[in-house]
Amino acid sequence: MKVPYHWLKEYVATDLEPQALANKLTMAGLEVDHVATRWPKIVTAQIVYLEPVKGSNHLNATRVTTGQGDERSVVCGAPNIKLGDVVPLALPGAVVQAEGGETFTIGVAKKMGIRSEGMLCSPRELGLSSDHQGIYILPTDTPLNMPWEEVVIELDIKAHRGDLFGIYSIAREVAAFANVPLQAPPLAVPELGPTPVAELARVTVADAALCPRFTARVIQDVQIGPSPLWLVLRLAAAGVRAINNVVDITNYVMLELGQPLHAFDYDRVADHHLIVRRAKPGEQLTTLDGQPRTLDPDMMLVCDASGPLSIAGVMGGATSEVADTTTNILLEAATWHPANIRRTSGKLGLRSEASSRFEKGLDPNLAQQGVDRAARLLVELAGGTVAPGIIDVYPQPVQPRTLRFTTHDVEWLLGYAVTPSEAAHALTALEFGVVLDGEGEGMTVTVPTWRGDVQEGADLVEEVARVLGYDRITGTLPSGPLPEPQLASWFARQERVRDIMAGAGLREIVTYPLTSRAALLNILHDQSNVAPLLLGAVDLSAPAVDGNGAGLAEQTASDGAKGKKAKKAPAVATAAATPNLPALAPDQLPVVVLTNPLSSKHETLRLTLLVSLLETLGENARQGAPSARLFEVGRRYVPTPGMATGAELPHERRSLGVILYGRTGDEWLETARDLDFFDLKGIAEKLLRTLHVAGARYTPTHHPTFHPGRCALIELPVSAEPDAPTRPAGILGEIHPAVAARFDLTRRAYALELDLERLFAAAPEHYHVQPNARYPALTRDLAVVVRRDVPASDVAAAIRAAGGALVQSVTLFDLYEGQPIPPDQRSLAFTIVYQAADRTLSDADGDAERAKVVALLRERFGATIRE
Amino acid sequence: MLDQLEALRQKAVADLEASGDTAALNAWNATYLGRQDGALTAILRGLKDVPGDQRKIVGQRANAIKVELEELLAARRSALAAGELARALQAERIDVTLPGRAEPRGGLHPITQTIRDICAVFAEMGFHTVEGPEVETDYYNFQALNIPADHPARDMQDTFWIVPGQLLLRTQTSPNQIRIMEQTRPPVRAVVPGKVYRNEATDATHEAMFHQIEGLLIDKTTTMRDLRGCLERFAHAIFDPASKVRFRPSYFPFTEPSAEVDVTCIVCRGAGCRVCKYSGWVEIGGSGMVHPQVLRNVNYDPAVYRGFAFGIGVERIAMMRYGINEIRLFSQNDLRFLSQF
Ligand SMILES: [Zn+2]
Repeated sequence: MKVPYHWLKEYVATDLEPQALANKLTMAGLEVDHVATRWPKIVTAQIVYLEPVKGSNHLNATRVTTGQGDERSVVCGAPNIKLGDVVPLALPGAVVQAEGGETFTIGVAKKMGIRSEGMLCSPRELGLSSDHQGIYILPTDTPLNMPWEEVVIELDIKAHRGDLFGIYSIAREVAAFANVPLQAPPLAVPELGPTPVAELARVTVADAALCPRFTARVIQDVQIGPSPLWLVLRLAAAGVRAINNVVDITNYVMLELGQPLHAFDYDRVADHHLIVRRAKPGEQLTTLDGQPRTLDPDMMLVCDASGPLSIAGVMGGATSEVADTTTNILLEAATWHPANIRRTSGKLGLRSEASSRFEKGLDPNLAQQGVDRAARLLVELAGGTVAPGIIDVYPQPVQPRTLRFTTHDVEWLLGYAVTPSEAAHALTALEFGVVLDGEGEGMTVTVPTWRGDVQEGADLVEEVARVLGYDRITGTLPSGPLPEPQLASWFARQERVRDIMAGAGLREIVTYPLTSRAALLNILHDQSNVAPLLLGAVDLSAPAVDGNGAGLAEQTASDGAKGKKAKKAPAVATAAATPNLPALAPDQLPVVVLTNPLSSKHETLRLTLLVSLLETLGENARQGAPSARLFEVGRRYVPTPGMATGAELPHERRSLGVILYGRTGDEWLETARDLDFFDLKGIAEKLLRTLHVAGARYTPTHHPTFHPGRCALIELPVSAEPDAPTRPAGILGEIHPAVAARFDLTRRAYALELDLERLFAAAPEHYHVQPNARYPALTRDLAVVVRRDVPASDVAAAIRAAGGALVQSVTLFDLYEGQPIPPDQRSLAFTIVYQAADRTLSDADGDAERAKVVALLRERFGATIRE
Repeated sequence: MLDQLEALRQKAVADLEASGDTAALNAWNATYLGRQDGALTAILRGLKDVPGDQRKIVGQRANAIKVELEELLAARRSALAAGELARALQAERIDVTLPGRAEPRGGLHPITQTIRDICAVFAEMGFHTVEGPEVETDYYNFQALNIPADHPARDMQDTFWIVPGQLLLRTQTSPNQIRIMEQTRPPVRAVVPGKVYRNEATDATHEAMFHQIEGLLIDKTTTMRDLRGCLERFAHAIFDPASKVRFRPSYFPFTEPSAEVDVTCIVCRGAGCRVCKYSGWVEIGGSGMVHPQVLRNVNYDPAVYRGFAFGIGVERIAMMRYGINEIRLFSQNDLRFLSQF
């Protein structure tokens, strides 16, 4: 809402300068967007000398005066000026507009040897219209030396204050906050026409619920023409272009009072009878902007017998519009149902000055003020004659709301005490009616009809606080009881994971979860089955950040606690990441899709963090990063069956993603080496150990993002209980070279994704530790030769199984392939630490344990022992 | 005989001083104190031939010299050893200006650090840190917050829809006010950090996704003064103990009274600069007393319970803290940017 300073001052005699006024408004809750000066150093002047410049085919040398006994020389190239014309003169220092909205500053110049001390301006140069055919020739009775300069305060009016979309209502607030009197614009209408309005026109309102009030007047014998300069400038300062005096007056009154109006050509309205009704299905109207509009029965129309004339409260149609030939006006000022107007303008994609006011709810009492004010101006500025009387369809006149209010209400919310008279004074300043109780702290408050936003005590508290000043709300600390302690928070868990990852030398990224189906498919080297992408490695079964389980209830929200049964993963060489899921073609990719994305690149929510990790890595690689160790703790968004109907939220899975790329740092001490799978796995193991997660399994698997021979499913126990069955919780591996190439990666990359809900389900909330052993441990090394396809972890597990409770640790310290080991076999060397709680283990114990291990390894893997 | 002893002593002391390494010391020891051929040993051995009246005097003197020479030898040995160690250590000298072994340096994203720091300030004041879903229903994101369908306040936040009118990407963290109050009874103190989404054109200071922290406190005593006090404490901890907080009247459908929250510009400390548009203040969020209709929506009696809510923009605060004027740096995740944290 643009508020021209001098226009505002017509209603309120504040002596605050524009910037001080802007600050005042800001602190009253009327947010000032910015303050701008229009037309500095522009005045009206008259041409008193005009001669062509010698040697030029279009320039004229002029002398102009502002009527103060001054004359100045101005060279002008416009073809339309003549001696005696009154024109806008830009003095040196003035800022005017060039083509395309750019501005330039006028200086003193010499053109063809003639001094030019300013510029005569076209309408475009003054920002009044796009007209640049010639100089803006003003009516000859325009006063000379009239300064054009105006300061415009642009306000960001909040959605609840539809009443503030008029300059007079802004003045009402200024009067309250600056404590100065308010001067209403004159509304009295000289009704000098010969025929009462009731004999000239009729209005029928078919749906009063959507049209609470409809007022109309008839003004006869108007002379259509240009508006006076002051009106043109006020409209322009407020951001509205002048058209002709009748249209300008309706716009002026809308800007002044906030009430939109519509002027019909009386003689083009069939039977002079306006009918307000809902549109018929499919009914058509071409609006003023030339667009044909198809209407539906939820839309209100103003019609005549022959059809729709305007879309009520939104925009008029072309047929009954005021034209140069118009002589009689049927002037409408109505009140419309706010939500209905909003729906209509939304459906039509048509926002207008009128609709943006009506949708916020206008005071029905404003309608009559508007039609009266405009009728009066049509007499003054367009020579019209107003027919006596007013048409007013107003079946249920609005009654002002009354509220009971006490100073206790103020203290309850604001925390400081006010006296009844202070509160009453504040409310009265804003034109609330206040009747204090004879004694005590109470009062009865009558809410002005334009303040539809004030519904209950809290709203009055805000009004009191605004007038008394928010600075009066000084700070204290809450003194109430604390809530129960928070047991386990997902925030804290994720922070823990972040700290572990940062401590492992990884750099955190925070990415945009919005992506696209194309981007998701792009991380698969083989797109024939996209199911692995849907679930990543995780057979997701229960949401953890679901709508009903979030908030404080998340304390207990974990899959484990929800009792989901997980099948014991079969001990096979390769585990499927997504058991029981049918193959999905790319066009079947189930994904959370936005209906109104900003761009096709951001049309869905991501199904996996892998897409964010790869894109971020690729971007850094393109920027020249030779290596990177990145992680993200974020969410993946998996559709649910009930989502399509809005009945169910998608599953938001908290996940950890890691990506490694490139080499260890080049340094003078050691030669750099390529990062590899085991760097990544080491990070996963560090995370699990730090969180005391035991029983993780890494099983070879296939996933179309990863290298087929270098990818493992991470399976974790469903709970921290001993011997809990495991289920898929994540995946890690080397990025498939075909995928890496799409991200311009020149080295190998390794990525991991781990479901944090499943990770923490496997992590004990509390754990116990053992005292230091009283007896020394026994350490034995053992080198085993097995077939190459025997997983090392199976061998280690067998060693543990053979040793039972005595085994403290089993650590692989060497892996050897080559002579003299047969080509299909390899040697695995382990350090085994045995520990008994009650005695010192002897060499004989060690020999016995070794024999048990050797026997089991022989039996299970056909192993031989390398002495 | 005594003169002979004295001459031997003097020669031995002089020889000892001239012995510069362990080998020389060993030779000296053999020469003077050696059990077989040592000069002093020989004298002691020859005592039996000394006349009786002299034997005792010479014997005592010879023994005293032996003890003295042994002590001198020990001292000389340890001095030599110290010197040898010092020389050996000196030979092991390294260039301490060479760089240290490269440990990969990890680190947290500035948004994470800022969220963590802010939540910690409120945790000190008893606020739990909780989370909520990013895909929300129209009810939680709008209706329960006193923003019905077809309400102009919906224009304040352009929305990404998943199922139009029903499912959306949350435009604010405020739906968690409702979720928290539905699940607990007062007293409530909670902050909710998280991502929010706006379907708006992006520029240097606006992104379609950004982070907010919602705050909510409900009990029987808390007023708007307490809101200000909590936000002041926050500003003092996050920006500067001299920071001031300013309330400006505003409008949020789910608070009444409502206030915009400004803090002293961290760049100019209130004097006015380009960052704060010469006002000395920077807006960091919105706040207010929870609207009685919102309390009624979750079956809290507004005559019994009261409290405040606020929403803080995380990126804005991170930009101020780290002197960043381009919001897109946060989502670009360029290592040249991130490695500075
Ligand atoms: Zn500043």
